[in-house]
Amino acid sequence: MTRRQRDLWHKILSVLVTILLAAFGLFPLYWILLTSFKTPGTEFRPPVTYWPVVFSLEAYKTILGPDFQVQRAILNSLIVSSCTTVGTLCLASLAAYTIARLKFRYKWSSLLFIQIASMLPPIIVIAPTFLIIRWMGLLGKLPGLIIPNIVYNIPMSTWLVASYFAGLPFELEDAAKVDGSPPLKIFWQIMLPLTAPGLFSAGVIAFLGSWGEFMLAFTITMGLPQVQTVPVAILSYSVAFMQQWTWISAGIVLSLIPVIALVVIFQKWVVRGLTLGSAKY
Amino acid sequence: MKFEPREHTIAILFLVPAVIGLLIFYYYPIGYTFVLSTFSLDHTTDLTANAFVGLRNYTNVLRSGPFWGSIRFTLFFTVVSVSLELSFGMVLALATYWVWPRLTALLRVIIIIPWAIPQIIEASMWKWMYNTDVGLIGDLIVRLGLTDKPPLFLADPALAQWSVIAAYVWKGSAFAAIFLMGGLALVPLELHDAAKVDGARAWRRFWTITLPMLMPTLLVVLLFQTIDGIRVFDIVYGLTGGGPGTTTDTLSSFAYKYYFKFVQYGMGSAYAVVTFVLVLAASIVYIRRVQPHFRFKGLE
Repeated sequence: MTRRQRDLWHKILSVLVTILLAAFGLFPLYWILLTSFKTPGTEFRPPVTYWPVVFSLEAYKTILGPDFQVQRAILNSLIVSSCTTVGTLCLASLAAYTIARLKFRYKWSSLLFIQIASMLPPIIVIAPTFLIIRWMGLLGKLPGLIIPNIVYNIPMSTWLVASYFAGLPFELEDAAKVDGSPPLKIFWQIMLPLTAPGLFSAGVIAFLGSWGEFMLAFTITMGLPQVQTVPVAILSYSVAFMQQWTWISAGIVLSLIPVIALVVIFQKWVVRGLTLGSAKY
Repeated sequence: MKFEPREHTIAILFLVPAVIGLLIFYYYPIGYTFVLSTFSLDHTTDLTANAFVGLRNYTNVLRSGPFWGSIRFTLFFTVVSVSLELSFGMVLALATYWVWPRLTALLRVIIIIPWAIPQIIEASMWKWMYNTDVGLIGDLIVRLGLTDKPPLFLADPALAQWSVIAAYVWKGSAFAAIFLMGGLALVPLELHDAAKVDGARAWRRFWTITLPMLMPTLLVVLLFQTIDGIRVFDIVYGLTGGGPGTTTDTLSSFAYKYYFKFVQYGMGSAYAVVTFVLVLAASIVYIRRVQPHFRFKGLE
């Protein structure tokens, strides 16, 4: 076989492999999309079809209508995830700076203190967290979701931002110190802008993490539809109203648009962010 | 006089906000759960003296059949799903490096999408695909001639366990693949080229170069996924709710039932503590593995 033929075969096989992996990776999404365009009530009627037969938007009208208002859940999720992202980045970048750049005696113990938290099973903290939020009077309110979510995302973000800080040359601070800049100014004006890529990756990951968080959201929202986030709302649809899967599917499709758009656009940042930590050891 | 805080003071000031947050929402709740687990609490959280039962919740838990069922399923779930996730993840990650370069970005997007879907929404999607009458998977199995009529994916006790695992692995493989892609990026190309010149076949190059170089990443993924497997909750809760009976109940889903369905905080806490101990064991392995490799200032 000539080199040219080999290249051609490689291209053909590549396309086939991509199609195969796309089929496996995306078929649940395709199935949900297909169901969402069926006329409500017909989804339980055999035979099973693999392509659209009718194209109905009725399910979308229902799920956006007064009974479900999936747009409200999406808005709640956007509020919770945005506030969580900002809060997490503030706390995590400060902690990361200490761990990666400052002379500090308890560095190893504070790193351990932060990292152990990321491994804990949520079930060990959920009941007392419920009691704390009740004591704060935040049950059934969005801040009651945001505050714990900020903390839940600290370990991962700190780790990631610290890895970025660690990669910067130490001469940067030394030069600034010689110039007599105060430490806060060094952090805020020199170091933080240089870790922008790390902050961005950490932000996307924290956003997605809080977007998908379920156990806390389910517990704190207490079944109140006006504060439900996307995961809780979608689950409640599949319990209530006789399980109309066209409606549920339409809800799933609409609620997935923001996250899928986010990862497709920022694909590179997500991959870099997630793998940076693991690349270090 | 100008105020000149020492580096040590700055370090403490910078750490305090994160540490306070972690204390309130992680470390205090853990301690509290331990306390709750030594009380008999039926529809109450008042820690009165006569509700104190010491370790009786634990002896009750250890004596109950469903507990051993759930611990067996949790471990079975973890072992099976982690091995499948690592294998599929490896294949996916290798595929992104092997394909025609123009397809790499597309393949990465295909891999990353399942990872971005919240686990509980994934559970809803798979619940619909597992539908016996009009579900995709049942229909495919019948079309392939494997069975005459679609099986009861979520109602048959033996099959339900595998159904939960399959749904979980779909997303977990994507996560493993993302990590392994990062690991593969670190394997120097020169090594491969040198081996090619020596005439080593692709399979041999994988075993002698790629896999050993990938080992650190592989170990990290293994431990991450193990921890995630032991504490699994969302997919079980959304797909089967632990049913049929308690065959697909994991430790976490059992604890959650005790907390918010039976409102027995003492028993729920005892289950949560058992989950915690298992996860902690895995975490200690992880930390011992990671510790020697830190490259942060003052930590070398």
